[in-house]
Amino acid sequence: MLPLSLLRTAQNHPMLVELKNGETYNGHLVSCDNWMNINLREVICTSRDGDKFWRMPECYIRGSTIKYLRIPDEVIDMVKEEAVVKNRGRDMKGGRGGQNQRNRPAARGNFGGRTGKPGQGGRNPPFQKQKPK
Amino acid sequence: MASSGDKSKNQSGDQKEKKRKESILDLSKYLEKTIRVKFAGGREASGILKGYDPLLNLVLDNTIEYLRDPDDPYKLTEDTRALGLVVCRGTSVVLICPMDGMESIQNPFISQD
Repeated sequence: MLPLSLLRTAQNHPMLVELKNGETYNGHLVSCDNWMNINLREVICTSRDGDKFWRMPECYIRGSTIKYLRIPDEVIDMVKEEAVVKNRGRDMKGGRGGQNQRNRPAARGNFGGRTGKPGQGGRNPPFQKQKPK
Repeated sequence: MASSGDKSKNQSGDQKEKKRKESILDLSKYLEKTIRVKFAGGREASGILKGYDPLLNLVLDNTIEYLRDPDDPYKLTEDTRALGLVVCRGTSVVLICPMDGMESIQNPFISQD
């Protein structure tokens, strides 16, 4: 059960989001992405002290500012059905990741070759070690 | 300068990348409209959205900052100050919502207490 899988499954469900600044947002989840950025609709915002309230038709919240999200219990049962599909997707991703990684060392090698001095075993000693002379 | 062969090889990956990069937020619907923005650290402002980029940097015009309680950086007061034309740094944007339809309300959860 991945946190973001649960969140994706919770789309169109009501939820409570608390931000790091203490404000809470009650609304229906419209969409989310891999950074946990979310769109809510029909939102009620509650101030940190719980003494002020605002209604907003929709809002976008940056994922990195979220403390936690409370999601209806029934959503967890819906994730399991999707879990199989998600795993398949993950396997494919793994395969592609391998391909990417095969490409990367070449680029790194070129970069290293440009900066690395010959006869130093490929790795530059830390700068400070060169200094005391 | 990728050759056509490279392109076809990477196409599926590129499409995936595109899908992932596509923002879930379509700010174009807010262009020339007044939006409310909350920032990391507690500042809040509203202004007419003039422009934006994928990093959530914003250009706001006729911007008003909502001033806060000097003792509590997260508590707003009635005071405001005019900032005019502003570029908002995307990394510090916490929340965006349209001003149109945003209203202060009484406790809607009171029946639950």
